[in-house]
Amino acid sequence: MAAEPTYSVEVEGVSKRFGAQPALDDVTLRIRRGEVYGILGPNGAGKTTLIRSLVGLIVPDSGTVTVLGRRMPSLDILARVGYMTQQAALYPDLSAAENVRFFAEIYGAHDGVREALEFVDLWERRDSVVSNLSGGMRTRCSLACALVHKPDLLLLDEPTVGVDPQLRVQLWDRFQRMARDGASILVSSHVMDEAERCDRLGLIRFGRLLAEGTVAELKRKAGVERLEDAFLKLSEAPAT
Amino acid sequence: MSRRRVAAITRRLLHQFRRDRRTLALLFFAPLVILALLGYLLRGGGGVPQMGVVNEDTGPLGPVVASQLEHSTTVSATAMSQRDAEAKLRNGDLAGYIVLPPDFSAQAQQAHTVAPDVRLEGSQPGLSGSILQAVGQSFTALVGTAGVHFAPKVSYLYGGPTFDTLDYFGAAFIGLVVFFLVFVITAVAFLRERGQGTLERLMASPLRRSEIVLGYMLGFTVLALVQAAEVLAFSLIVLHVHNSGNVALIFIMEALMAIAAVNLGIFLSMFARTEFQAVQFIPLVIVPQVFLAGIIFPVSTEPGPLQLLSHVLPLTYAVEGMRNIMVKGADLGWSSLALDFGVVLGFALLVIFAAATTLRRRIA
Repeated sequence: MAAEPTYSVEVEGVSKRFGAQPALDDVTLRIRRGEVYGILGPNGAGKTTLIRSLVGLIVPDSGTVTVLGRRMPSLDILARVGYMTQQAALYPDLSAAENVRFFAEIYGAHDGVREALEFVDLWERRDSVVSNLSGGMRTRCSLACALVHKPDLLLLDEPTVGVDPQLRVQLWDRFQRMARDGASILVSSHVMDEAERCDRLGLIRFGRLLAEGTVAELKRKAGVERLEDAFLKLSEAPAT
Repeated sequence: MSRRRVAAITRRLLHQFRRDRRTLALLFFAPLVILALLGYLLRGGGGVPQMGVVNEDTGPLGPVVASQLEHSTTVSATAMSQRDAEAKLRNGDLAGYIVLPPDFSAQAQQAHTVAPDVRLEGSQPGLSGSILQAVGQSFTALVGTAGVHFAPKVSYLYGGPTFDTLDYFGAAFIGLVVFFLVFVITAVAFLRERGQGTLERLMASPLRRSEIVLGYMLGFTVLALVQAAEVLAFSLIVLHVHNSGNVALIFIMEALMAIAAVNLGIFLSMFARTEFQAVQFIPLVIVPQVFLAGIIFPVSTEPGPLQLLSHVLPLTYAVEGMRNIMVKGADLGWSSLALDFGVVLGFALLVIFAAATTLRRRIA
């Protein structure tokens, strides 16, 4: 097998329209191995569309998507990708453990159910039926389903919505540990204190990648102290 | 109780429906379609049962009865030889025939009693009834004038005098119950998978579309087969529905219908966004099939154009197949049953293919 490519994700000039509405407009970005990359942007900016194009759920009108060195869509590559949707997509009649086990089997993983449930602090509640779990617990269970097969690339669409602050901090520690172990993580968010913990950030609005860089770079570029201000300032840029 | 609050609910409801064109169409269009279909089916000048008249009488009375029958409006009677009549009865062209023996007139004049042989196909109680009625009417003139006693000797190719409406419907319904319930359950389950977002997740996994379809098919088929076995056992053991065929064949036919229903459910769920919309397929897809598949009204008595439609519906063959087995005791050596199995199998394969391809198109 060839050496692992430097980039886990390479998006080259990707555009996608839904009707007259451009969802992605000539987006180019790369995510390195072992990097936590944050996609920041308001609702409807194109974050989810970008993530869906990485797993082949959306075929771009133009441009190319390469994941772990392979042009998408590719079913083999998908086995090495974990995808957590915005909505906690789970089977409500199954228990937490049954849900995680199901996705483990789909992805060809033989164990790791316990590890994944412990990762999200749900091992104690493993036998609870999902419809009896709170919103935050469902989000965590959904996350466990996304990483049970120890993916090389983890795509998280607003993973910490409804998760309480302590656990959110814990989860971010773990994301960063996974990245140190070599996984790449793409997180979409509109929460700024989370964005601060990403290695690099991309600001997306109206389907366009407006700015990219580390937190410090973005602040410097905008000439402001707070990331939130940088985000607001850089978002306005193309209009002026 | 606040009038304004009640009015708010009422108004909201009507507003919602204004946006849901599909439900509106169903509400106002579907009843007309169903009633029109029913009207055409019952008044569209459909065929009457075909019967044969075998007149071997050497005396004057045979031709009188034969001509009475040929002018009957309840049946369409044709003169023929007994050998032809029996052959046509067996291949399903005739619902019955009457034999007026050579000594028919003589018997009537001497013994004041006539006992012609009436031979019925017997698998369809409604048609048998029509023939017996027509035969009775054709003898009234004779009975009235000469005071002759009329005692036909009725024999049946299939079933028998105790064969009743439940025996006739039961055979069709055993397959039908499984088909419709499995269809509805699969459609709703698949929509739920879409609604709760897990389908999106499956589509982003290394799963192949065919694996999803096959997995679903096996899962629901297990349920459907248990249901099919239960329905069959209840019908045969508790209701004593007539069965002269092989139980294994019935079960195989049910299984094929269940597999077709699962895939039809997956396929049609692609055209619905909500579980509510999936349930709307029942009046559109299921009710017309119940009318036209020969379950209630024999296909042979439908108006011509509807017969064409019936012959296109796969359910017609499934129903006919179930009746062939249970009523007539058919096995796979019968060409008609082989055709029934062939069509149902072909339909199952077609919907499997349709389910797999639409799944791909909607997601990719």
